[in-house]
Amino acid sequence: MPDQGQGPGVSLSMTPYTGPWTKAEAAHLLRRTTFGPTNQEMLDAVTNGMNATVTTLLQLPAATQPLTYLAEETIAPFGATWVNSVYPSDPTAAQTVETARILSLAGWLMQRLNTEQLSIAEKMTLFWQNHFSANISADARASYEYFNLLYNSSLGNFKQLVKDVTIDPNMLLFLNGATNTLYSPNENYARELLELFTIGKGPQIGPGDYTNYTEDDVAAGAKILTGYIVDGLRSDTMTSVTSTFTPILHDTSTKTLSAHFGNAVITDNGANEYADYIDIIFQQDEVANHICRKLYRYFVNYDLTPIVESTVIAEMAATLIANNYDVLPVLTELFTSEHFYDISVRGALIKSPLEMIYSMMNSTGSVPAFNLETNYEMEVSMYWFAETMGQAYGSPPSVAGWPAYYQEPSYSKLWVNATHIKTRFDLSSWMTIYTGIPSGMESWKVDALGFVDNLSLPADAPTVIDDICDVFSPKGVDATQKLILKAILTNSLPDFEWTLQYNEYQANPGDPMYSDPVKYRVELVLARFFQMPEFHTA
Amino acid sequence: MKRRNFVKSLALASAGTPILLNEMKFQSIGKKLFDVSKSADDRVLVIIRLNGGNDGLNTVIPRDQYSDLTIQRNNIIIPESLVLPLTNEVGLHPVMTGMKGMYDSGKLGIIQNVGYPEQNRSHFRSMDIWSSGLIDTAATTGWLGRDFDNHYPNYPDAYPDAQNPDPFAISMGYEVSSTCQGLMANFSHAVNNPFDVYNLASSGAVDDGTYYGSHIDYLTTLIDQANAYGGQINTAANAGNTMSTMYDPNNPLAVQLQYVAQMISGGLQSKVYVLNIDGFDTHDAQVSATDTTTGTHADLMKRLSDAISAFQDDLQLLGLEHRVAGMTFSEFGRQIASNASRGTDHGDAAPLFLFGTCLDFSLMGNNPTVGSTIVNQAGIPMEVDFRDIYASILKDWFGVASSEIQSLFEHTVTFYPMLGACSLSVEEEDDLAQDKALIYPNPSFGNSTIRFAAQNEWVKIVVFDLMGRQVAEVFDGNLNQGRHDIKMELTDLQNGEYIVNIQKSSGSVSCNLLKAK
Repeated sequence: MPDQGQGPGVSLSMTPYTGPWTKAEAAHLLRRTTFGPTNQEMLDAVTNGMNATVTTLLQLPAATQPLTYLAEETIAPFGATWVNSVYPSDPTAAQTVETARILSLAGWLMQRLNTEQLSIAEKMTLFWQNHFSANISADARASYEYFNLLYNSSLGNFKQLVKDVTIDPNMLLFLNGATNTLYSPNENYARELLELFTIGKGPQIGPGDYTNYTEDDVAAGAKILTGYIVDGLRSDTMTSVTSTFTPILHDTSTKTLSAHFGNAVITDNGANEYADYIDIIFQQDEVANHICRKLYRYFVNYDLTPIVESTVIAEMAATLIANNYDVLPVLTELFTSEHFYDISVRGALIKSPLEMIYSMMNSTGSVPAFNLETNYEMEVSMYWFAETMGQAYGSPPSVAGWPAYYQEPSYSKLWVNATHIKTRFDLSSWMTIYTGIPSGMESWKVDALGFVDNLSLPADAPTVIDDICDVFSPKGVDATQKLILKAILTNSLPDFEWTLQYNEYQANPGDPMYSDPVKYRVELVLARFFQMPEFHTA
Repeated sequence: MKRRNFVKSLALASAGTPILLNEMKFQSIGKKLFDVSKSADDRVLVIIRLNGGNDGLNTVIPRDQYSDLTIQRNNIIIPESLVLPLTNEVGLHPVMTGMKGMYDSGKLGIIQNVGYPEQNRSHFRSMDIWSSGLIDTAATTGWLGRDFDNHYPNYPDAYPDAQNPDPFAISMGYEVSSTCQGLMANFSHAVNNPFDVYNLASSGAVDDGTYYGSHIDYLTTLIDQANAYGGQINTAANAGNTMSTMYDPNNPLAVQLQYVAQMISGGLQSKVYVLNIDGFDTHDAQVSATDTTTGTHADLMKRLSDAISAFQDDLQLLGLEHRVAGMTFSEFGRQIASNASRGTDHGDAAPLFLFGTCLDFSLMGNNPTVGSTIVNQAGIPMEVDFRDIYASILKDWFGVASSEIQSLFEHTVTFYPMLGACSLSVEEEDDLAQDKALIYPNPSFGNSTIRFAAQNEWVKIVVFDLMGRQVAEVFDGNLNQGRHDIKMELTDLQNGEYIVNIQKSSGSVSCNLLKAK
């Protein structure tokens, strides 16, 4: 544990931050709330100020839809979405279509992360995906609707989101809610609803008693949730997957919860009984503490000390409760607070695989710009790279999410071990000095020229290095390392040689004789930077 | 002729063997013989995590309670006639033929009803408890990590070093195992493919004393270690070997165990290998609708059984059996009664497997009692505390002192005889006189080791039957002064009593051997 972690001088205040607003503070905000800000976005945020930037970040851009790009999709036309298309009647043919849809879904999820927009929406959607952690189900349409729900609710009301997720077909399939009936209660969802999704599990203080709830509550919850079934899976007639309440499968008995819920009694309320139950769970303020701790660990710092718990978390939870579980006021408070900008929490996280990948790509403005099929294939490749490094978006390793977000004591350190660091380094070399991700005749890699052209003074070698350090490292890079990086950029020649080379390239647009050397030098610098520890922190 | 003279004349007779042949013989079998573990230092523990909570009642099946089992789990029960019988009371899932074979040859041990008091049915909390071996306190270190911390303080700083060039533990795959979490860092090194070449750039960044600095420091150390350890692992993998033909390349666990055999045989000094197999959280469709012997759980059991038996076969062929022992674990068993989705929900205790040639037991503990009445949410009650299994392994296998083991756990540790069949306690070792010898395990199921002391002298070991006929020659060569463990491959011998004779210039020693199946 670092000595100065939460020591004297660290601000734990949630009052609005009024200190200096420079590129460092703006970059810290953007780094934590988006996937890979550009140098220009950081400069704009400085100009616009903290409040206006936070307001922009907390808006929800319109949702997109996954598109057909493979010939195996035989129902929806190429380039159109398949999210409301039926499946072929033949199961084998349906499986082929499903594979095409899953790949489209994976490409679409990555495309969203790769889209340059100043919004927290994707970071929050990933937060909820980690929170609820439902894997992709047997019907890509249900999985699409689930991800769409997380996106559209990402800045909405937490209580409502829990209700919506509870009867979401993808979740009903994932945690066996769809087979939880009067005749055979299945506890899987009922347990995770309490343990992970809402109130959280406290220490075990007696047989089957986890401080905030008991095993009997799990059993009662399973009964309350009975009766929802899923219809339309891979249907050749239904254009979407639905959840339907089936009264004869619902346990109409009266359920009594433990003292942890004030011995609340839940009487039969058919299709809405689950919502009554969730309302009762949310009467316990511990729900707010639980979700605010997760928000804090995700956005601020893994180390949640008792003093942070009693100050920052307590204030966030109070705000959440005061706003009836709307998350927007909490996020606004957090991202404009003194504590968020305290120097002690800057760089306190290790980038997740998705953050690592898209900080390389987004911060350099690198988006595949080929045909639809090629673009999708390249993003799907990124999906697999992220999976190899431990973060497959559609299938967190367990219902608790990715261990790096919850596992004591290492937290985000778990993203990198000896195997993962090698994959990170290999991928970064691949995307810079090697060929990038190939697809057909095309190849997608870091756009080194576009990146350097958009820096503040591209012809000036020291400024180029300064900007690169600002963009990619949360606390800068020491002078020696900067000199090494500059030597790579200039090929160890005097700085003016870089200036000449860059200006010649500008004077001869489109001529690879002049652009290639510039491009290669920048790629070398980025390759080196992406393999420095500083780059892997956020 | 006096006995001593008889021995001497034998020695002279064998001196007539062509030198070259003697050399070759010595080299080819000698390497194998002398690789037998001489101390706890070169022993290896392989841990296989069954992630999700394995259904113990459909793994190790209580054959004596079939009518009750049929009541409890009618929709998932394995037909009685298909269960692989181990004893009259106990059987294995039909797909577990590999592990059945290991049981029959004394290489598989089953401990019944393993768990801990007041079972926590959360996957995450329970896995933390199993990984840490701690129940009352927050699980921030692993049970193996704490033991490593005792022996290698200040890890990871200053490691690897000259005495410890290899990772202390290996986690197969992309994640490090929390069983090896130490105070400062995880003692295990993640290896996905030991043939991957490492040559990562290092950096001059420094720790500024903040959270950020601690990450920079962590990453820098990790990069340096990855390069150093990666090189060692490469070298071992390339120097190593694997001989079994039983590994299925489509079985991920088998592939990983094959890599483990490759690294061990290549001389990697890592003491622990942790592997993982996912998918045991079988809330629904754990058996197929048409045939309860197939489906998700059967596939998992087959993968586990096939992989472990292939690995054991490999170890035998490589002459490494006495250096390697294995264990499985899962965060909990499942409830006695199945649910209507052909699945089972989170339960309590479950059986645990140990494997290897140094087992002290085959079957430990009573069959679980399932009863004829379905009790909502009922699981199998715990009888053996998993922490005592860890403790016993540390004692028997790694020779950790009892007092030190006790210091790793919260409860009063009970030691069970588990992996002691290849060991002698320290006192016995010191007392091993020139005229004594010890065979272990005895009765032998095919492979045993004979331990004795020699001076710098020629030694020949021969097995006779009770009629005085020579049935096997185990060893013929020169040995240095000291204690020796010589492996005896006796698979071809029929069951029965034998006399093993150690002929030495300094005097002959005989002892009895019982061969059993």
